[in-house]
Amino acid sequence: MAASDGEPQAATKEAEKPKIEPLRLPTPEEIRGQDIWNNCAVRSVVSGIMGGGLGLFMGLFLGALDNPLMQEEMTAKQQFIYTAKQMGRRSFSSAKTFAVMGLIFSAAECVVEKARAKHDTTNTVVAGCVTGGAISAKGGPKAACAGCAGFAAFSVLIEKFLDRHD
Amino acid sequence: MAAKNGSTTIEKEQIFGMAEQEMEYRVDLFNRLTKICFDKCIDKRYKESELNMGENSCIDRCVSKYWQVTNLIGQLLGSNRPPM
Repeated sequence: MAASDGEPQAATKEAEKPKIEPLRLPTPEEIRGQDIWNNCAVRSVVSGIMGGGLGLFMGLFLGALDNPLMQEEMTAKQQFIYTAKQMGRRSFSSAKTFAVMGLIFSAAECVVEKARAKHDTTNTVVAGCVTGGAISAKGGPKAACAGCAGFAAFSVLIEKFLDRHD
Repeated sequence: MAAKNGSTTIEKEQIFGMAEQEMEYRVDLFNRLTKICFDKCIDKRYKESELNMGENSCIDRCVSKYWQVTNLIGQLLGSNRPPM
């Protein structure tokens, strides 16, 4: 009696367990999408555009904060137009800088990661060094080294912050 | 006629047996390949669910090398039947 009672109970418990879902392999569209995203050129261009957008907003913001011109000669409207032009100029130059930064950083990181076939912080360090060095290359070798080290440290900090945040 | 039918049935069975063996061999090859490349290329700490680029290129290289090694060893085993 005890044995025959035990068996139906075990059967219902088996039926209550969640069904195992079948294996879902990626579709060709998904693979193609991943391939497009893994392309270094596409990635760096997208990063450059995003950097440009970020630079635009930052430039607008900083340009608005920049000079509270209190020149008595201009009327309020002229002052407004002047400030607006200043903001626009500042934001455009800032957008260019950030776009170039994003492009170089993303391209360098992509190339290094593909070559090493590893996902590490070393990729970020090398990419940051290349970007910092390229941006401060005009100031001579010493400035390039300082820019390299500074930007590499900054990129590593940002990466660690983003990882912890996720 | 009866003898011919008998031999073709045996042949069919043989072919079926070989196909089954080949299928088992292929499945085993796939499982081993997946296990080896997964252990080699993918970090044990899973930070995200998508494969990142380094892992992708590592897997490409791993599969390519494994396949070349399999073919090479298969050729070597096939050509020199008596042991060296």
